[in-house]
Amino acid sequence: MIGHLTRRIVGGAIVLLVLSALIYTLFYLAPSDPAILACGKGCTPERLADVRAAMGLADPVWTQYWHFLQGIFTGRDYSLGPTVRHCPAPCLGYSFETSQPVTTLLMDRLPVSFSLAFGAEILSLLLGIGAGLLSGTRRFRWFDRLVNGLVLAGYATPVFLVGLLLLLLFCVHLQWLPFPQYVPFTTDPLLWAQNLLLPWIALAVIQTAAYARLTRAGLQESLAEDHIRTARAYGIPERRILWRKALRGALLPLVTLTAVDLAGIITSAVLTETMFGLPGVGQLLVGAVNQIDLPVVVGVTLLTGLIMVLANTAADLLYAAVDPRVQLR
Amino acid sequence: MIRALLRDRGFVVGAVIATGMVLVAVTAPLLAALAGQDYTTYHDTLLDSARGGVPIGAFGGVSGEHWLGVEPGTGRDLFARVVYGARVSLGVAVGATILEVLLGVGVGIAAGLGGRWADAGLSRVIDLVLSIPSLVLAISLLAIVPQDWPRPLILAVVIALLGWGGTARISRGETLSLRTRDYVAAAQVAGAPWWRVARREILPGLTAPILTYAALLLPTNMVAEAGLSFLGVGVRPPTPSWGQMLSTATTWFRADPAYVIIPGLLLFLTLLSFVLVANGLRRVLDPRQREILR
Amino acid sequence: MRRFVPIVLTATVLLAGCQGGGGGDTTTSNAAFDPATCQGGTLTVLNQGGITHLDPARLYTSGGGNLPSLLFRTLTTRNRQPGDAGTKPAPDLATDLGTPSDGAKTWTYHLRDGIQFEDGTPITAADVKYGIERSFAPELPGGAPYLRDWLAGAADYQGPYKQPDGITSIETPDDKTIVFKLSKPEGDFPFLATATQFAPVPKAKDNGVDYEKHPISSGPYQVESYEPKKSLVLVRNTHWSTKIDELRYACPDRIEVTSGLDSAVINQRIVTGAGQDANAVTTDAVVGPEQLAQLGTGSELDKRVTRGEFPSTTYLAFNTKKAPFDNPKVREALSYAINRTSVVNALGGSAVVGPSTTFLPPQKALGYQQYDWFPAGDTGAPDKAKQVLAEAGLSNLSIELAHENDDSEGIGPKVASAIQEAFKQAGVTVKLNAIDTGTYRDITGKPATQPGLSLATWGADWPSGGPFLIPIFDGRQIITAGGNFNLAQYNDPEVNAEIDAINALTDPAAAAARWGALDAKLGKLALVLPLTHEKDVYLYGKNVKNAYADGWRGQLDVGRVSVK
Repeated sequence: MIGHLTRRIVGGAIVLLVLSALIYTLFYLAPSDPAILACGKGCTPERLADVRAAMGLADPVWTQYWHFLQGIFTGRDYSLGPTVRHCPAPCLGYSFETSQPVTTLLMDRLPVSFSLAFGAEILSLLLGIGAGLLSGTRRFRWFDRLVNGLVLAGYATPVFLVGLLLLLLFCVHLQWLPFPQYVPFTTDPLLWAQNLLLPWIALAVIQTAAYARLTRAGLQESLAEDHIRTARAYGIPERRILWRKALRGALLPLVTLTAVDLAGIITSAVLTETMFGLPGVGQLLVGAVNQIDLPVVVGVTLLTGLIMVLANTAADLLYAAVDPRVQLR
Repeated sequence: MIRALLRDRGFVVGAVIATGMVLVAVTAPLLAALAGQDYTTYHDTLLDSARGGVPIGAFGGVSGEHWLGVEPGTGRDLFARVVYGARVSLGVAVGATILEVLLGVGVGIAAGLGGRWADAGLSRVIDLVLSIPSLVLAISLLAIVPQDWPRPLILAVVIALLGWGGTARISRGETLSLRTRDYVAAAQVAGAPWWRVARREILPGLTAPILTYAALLLPTNMVAEAGLSFLGVGVRPPTPSWGQMLSTATTWFRADPAYVIIPGLLLFLTLLSFVLVANGLRRVLDPRQREILR
Repeated sequence: MRRFVPIVLTATVLLAGCQGGGGGDTTTSNAAFDPATCQGGTLTVLNQGGITHLDPARLYTSGGGNLPSLLFRTLTTRNRQPGDAGTKPAPDLATDLGTPSDGAKTWTYHLRDGIQFEDGTPITAADVKYGIERSFAPELPGGAPYLRDWLAGAADYQGPYKQPDGITSIETPDDKTIVFKLSKPEGDFPFLATATQFAPVPKAKDNGVDYEKHPISSGPYQVESYEPKKSLVLVRNTHWSTKIDELRYACPDRIEVTSGLDSAVINQRIVTGAGQDANAVTTDAVVGPEQLAQLGTGSELDKRVTRGEFPSTTYLAFNTKKAPFDNPKVREALSYAINRTSVVNALGGSAVVGPSTTFLPPQKALGYQQYDWFPAGDTGAPDKAKQVLAEAGLSNLSIELAHENDDSEGIGPKVASAIQEAFKQAGVTVKLNAIDTGTYRDITGKPATQPGLSLATWGADWPSGGPFLIPIFDGRQIITAGGNFNLAQYNDPEVNAEIDAINALTDPAAAAARWGALDAKLGKLALVLPLTHEKDVYLYGKNVKNAYADGWRGQLDVGRVSVK
């Protein structure tokens, strides 16, 4: 168990290291120059050289990358002009575009992405498990079919398409909802939920069907198991069998998936966020890529990479926790 | 096997639509010519310039000449753009899928047959590929690739480079289980070179699971292309793509809803048809893998 | 050129006594507006792009910007009037527009009495000088380049952090006097002195890059909170009063700016006007197609719109050093072939963009003179173009067109595709060359790498013909090392001499007439192919009063609107 965790952590660290080095190399190879953007119109070559030096871009790429790594572990100092400011570890640097600390930018955006992901995940779990149970008990064949169809349709529906159609229907045609605009939970929980409703639904449409199908399969499998049959033979009421025994077995596989799916939503939230204009991590990335804002791009990449690593580890641990047959080595 | 497939109604419907779409993509120039349109000509007279350039007329300016109406802001024929858009969507998806299968199967077999160290090393690489946030990296990659490189090819390569992990993992697993079989072990003991073992003994055993998996990769890759084009890092104008149309539609859907519905519906139908095909294949080829679809 | 200016306001109220003559659109709404009693309430500003750097050294504004000029008073500022009167500078911190001497190579300003920073410290000439010096620091890039070009000995100056002795060409003989020594005559200096670089900065409070977190205000408001590209909250500066500033009315008690919103959402919110949105304006979200549909004459919404024009031209730049564009016949033929209607549609339709046949946009202050030397009609004259090409012995011409790879600045794929299609009608094959937006200016601005044909835009940093024509046509401004705007690479000593002669004029009206004549003369050479000019149409909230398009920027002035 401990050995497994250690290996996971080392592996995760390598993933993050490779990712950040990759981004640095890519941006170094790219023809775009952030100093030109910062310098602005009518920038003479002499001025450009000065600006580039002030931005720390005059050093060779490996020196820049080394400084970046140093910043993460020991922090680093940045010149403000008249004075120097210390960026404490873990320092991801400052945005080329706005001079804000990258960690602050990420922390600002994370609640939006988390709100989006958790809400959508909870919604799809509720709907998915509900639908799965209904169809799993085989009482309604047509419902069973419907879920089957929806699984396939959900798989074939990009989130930005559902998003567009939802906006078209609810905001333009029916005018039931205003166009989504993020309101922090701490400001007004009701408005927060109202504004996130459409993005949640858009994401849930895709996820729900998969959960329904899994629940149904799990339920059927556990209903067929010996101990359930024994229970039935003893005359225990069907409803109690269903809730007490079968459900547990049916939901186990879902638990492990939740972590990975959550990470998936966060790391691919850029589409949903762009679609609905939510100021999350994904939107930050798209803006930063357009502005050649290397520190922010690296920051977002590392953060999403970290979320993936954590989710995969969590999934492993959960799996071991809920299924005693699995041993982590 | 064919008969089993034909008994699956979903598969048949999917296969018919999918074949139709492929035909549309292949014959795009012919279809556009048949409609008497091309995908670049501007029709300024069909737009209401004072209202920002929305098409004049109902449902995005549908008429006898412009079967699906015209694009807002340019007046380009939507039918022509949609059929040409099919080329990009399908082309990139098919290209990426082929690359993923080649790469994934290659690495998977190498890991499976290559001995302990090769397996350990390659497995780490596969894990790495599987655990990177691929959309995030794809956006960065595509943003910095020189603009004059052939865009659809670049798209296919980027999607494949970030998405071959699954194929590799499956191939490795299957290879490991196949090599314990007697006939493979016998071939190895008999001193057959590894590439012959791979080709003669392993590859045939991989066909069914990989085919099933690839059939699902295809729609996934199509979504990826549409998503990247949606974010503005996909193909370059004037080349049309469905994702790009949907992206433009985000600024037009209030004023010209028809412009969302046509490319959206096509994308949905095409994806659905491929999923149905994949689903049918899975049932027939690989009854063990019940839940591959999640 | 980019417009960094983040602020636009719209309004249609005429003030008694405030109506400049001429041009602006002034629809009346509220005759009762009185600057003396307009104080109160919170103004909401809903924007797409936010301010990335709230540092007077780093802002690139025209006329001091809309929101920035609420914090930063400058030596001169824009007149804040509708129409033509609004295109003139007015004294702000200074007592007048400046006294030229030495043939407009030296400009002297005197500061007015009683001016203070937000902490009550008096503003001195040294503070103004220090503010300008900061803009030379490489740590604070982004501002307009003019001072680096105009001030004597500025080329070697790297800002006060590296050279604390300061720049020698700015003298402050006493606390109230500041003298600028230029390297050449510049009659437009009072226009340049409206830029935020001319705002005072107290040296004691300067913490370099971090100064923007709380820049020290000299204007009617001060910063309560600021997050780049996201939000800005302004509250009253108690050390400012209308006694020391007649130009800003500063009616709202509080101004809350939210940025990063979708343009369609902004406009919808202003139309609906629920809650605080009734007090909302936008300074950068031009109306979209869905509002244009509701903007019929006499409609309710039509009373809540300002229509103005920011002087700016989108054009095709010919590199006359490269074949085939060294051949005037080719340039003329393409000028005939262009279909301006498709370009207008690609840029948002006739409500927000107008076709241009002249390089100068249609503003009187710039010296605009109508001409159309190569009439292409609304949708192009491909036959005439073919004929010109045939006469020149050129057929099956194949050319490449460079453009940015996104449409954010209006010179992206949409416009390029429209041009490609128009030229095709004249038998000219165009290959599109998309260049990354981040490097576009770098590639087009170096003559060695400049493509033969490229899309470009040019906006006026102030309403005068000089900044519009000089960088584009002055042969001495061809900068080979990079940052070049004379994309035609045209160098005619006669034209250069005329530019010098106009620059020495300190009467704007006399200068305007000659800039216009120069533009018309240059137009005959087809060195550029003008496409469109910008129109600014902005909505504002139900409760907003005294909103009108300011003649300088074509947008409503936040310094003058009221929500009481």
